[in-house]
Amino acid sequence: MVDDLVTSKQSKGLTIVDQINSHNANVFVGKLGDILYKAVDKPLGMALNWGRLWSLWPVHIETACCSVEFGAASGPRYDVERFGIIEAFGSLRQCDLVVVQGTITRKMAPRLRLVYDQMPEPKYVIAMGACAITGGLYFDSYNVLPGIDGILPVDVYVPGCPPRPETLIQGCMLLQEKIKRMKPR
Amino acid sequence: MSSQVYPKDKEILPGLQIEKVDDRIMTLNVGPQHPGSGHMRIIIKVDGDYIVHTDPDPGYVHRGEEKMAEYRNYITNIPHLERPVIHDSCNILYPYCLGVEELLGLEVPERAKYLRVIAAELNRCVYIEYWLAIYGIFLGHSTMFMWPVGDRELLIDLLDKMTGARVTHAYFVPGGVRNDVPPNFEDVCLRQVNYFEKRLKEYADVFYDNPILISRTKDTGILSREDAIKLGTTGSVLRASGVDFDIRKKEPYDVYEEMDFQTNVLKEGDSYARSKIPWLDMFESCRIIRDALKKMPKSGSVRVKLKPKPKGGDTEVYRRVESGRGSLGMHIVSRGMPQPYRLKISVPSFRNLIAMPHLLTGEKLGNMPAVYWSLNYWPVEADR
Repeated sequence: MVDDLVTSKQSKGLTIVDQINSHNANVFVGKLGDILYKAVDKPLGMALNWGRLWSLWPVHIETACCSVEFGAASGPRYDVERFGIIEAFGSLRQCDLVVVQGTITRKMAPRLRLVYDQMPEPKYVIAMGACAITGGLYFDSYNVLPGIDGILPVDVYVPGCPPRPETLIQGCMLLQEKIKRMKPR
Repeated sequence: MSSQVYPKDKEILPGLQIEKVDDRIMTLNVGPQHPGSGHMRIIIKVDGDYIVHTDPDPGYVHRGEEKMAEYRNYITNIPHLERPVIHDSCNILYPYCLGVEELLGLEVPERAKYLRVIAAELNRCVYIEYWLAIYGIFLGHSTMFMWPVGDRELLIDLLDKMTGARVTHAYFVPGGVRNDVPPNFEDVCLRQVNYFEKRLKEYADVFYDNPILISRTKDTGILSREDAIKLGTTGSVLRASGVDFDIRKKEPYDVYEEMDFQTNVLKEGDSYARSKIPWLDMFESCRIIRDALKKMPKSGSVRVKLKPKPKGGDTEVYRRVESGRGSLGMHIVSRGMPQPYRLKISVPSFRNLIAMPHLLTGEKLGNMPAVYWSLNYWPVEADR
């Protein structure tokens, strides 16, 4: 099942060099990236992913009511920090995980995309709650998006309305499993 | 929300008069992604360190609850109506159930009334604990995040036993409550609530008597008694400004008039008083729960049987209750259909938000988080 999930952004045809040399990176970073790519690709790839999966930093963006259960998951009883997921953090430049906490409205959608675009690579997305997956209870509301697939590439879906903290933790562990099997970027 | 919506009253909204922007004034956007909590934006203009203009911009979670209620019948409306405040879900369903009961002419069984009071008070504590935890995060006080979130789980366990869900209970239905409590619930509830109250007293040492907290919240964002009434604030904001107003006392619903409790009123009207009132309210909630457990009938039915799609008459009702944030009212217009013709939710969060430009203008920027979250404002509820 996890193998099916690992249809990452890599399979869309972009090599690592393409990604590093994209239009928004400057020349120096591009050259450095070239060298790093050659040196680090195979031998240290696994080590890179290992480092990433035990220090996922979720960005502090709360979009709807699932944030209550996200808060409880960082609390003392569930304590996601045991699994290497740090408490939600304010500065998005240092984050690599977006947990979309529930309903995305038409007003919020461009802002969510902006937050995602401003985060540095590599970055992962967890869609938390029925609203983020399909629109959930608000499937027929005039102001709610029917799921966030249209605006963000989702890695793991966590169902529930709202998901219990245990479910969220399991979703995070699935994501870690997925990162372990990803090609290093 | 643009500045044109407000009345041009120089007394109430001094900051909104400024229109000329010169080199000294800088515009700051706080949110919708910010290190605190809540998905709303405040557009702030600062002159040096002082806020000269505040323009709240809510509406990021507007999901059209009121419109959705018009094409669902009275029973299927229950789950989505509790979503605006899932951690206070019993209290937001309370006015709806009271209103529909009045509309359909239902008589609630005595035991159900007491169970409702117990569930509502437990839920109020759960809400306030979460609010307090986020207030701790806003002020950079991590211990005050961990303690309330941990203690909150005790009461969530109780509600889990009672209703079968952690936060979205859907426990209140028109005509009573959904199901009876398990056999040994009274003993467990009493034990947990007594322990919870003991824990609450310890918050004074770490938070309320903490000199750093006092220096950050005392004398910031002062709301006078007259302004609090004029701006239409409710709940803890109103009571922190010296107005003794609690719907549980003024218009008692169900069995609140038999309960033994008092309302907490402080005169200062600053952020410290506003943060202290909910904490004091939790002690009163514990008192109410103990009292209700003592007075509750030991057996009896908890729910009136309803027809599959009940229809209301050609009337309208308005009922309000005291939620964790203040007065929460629902206006149901019925036109003889299984669905409500119109449902208007009057939420306390939005009414407290109106006071925000008044409070923030003239403050230092560093005091913004302390004032903002002390308003007892939950953005999802305000946007509905």
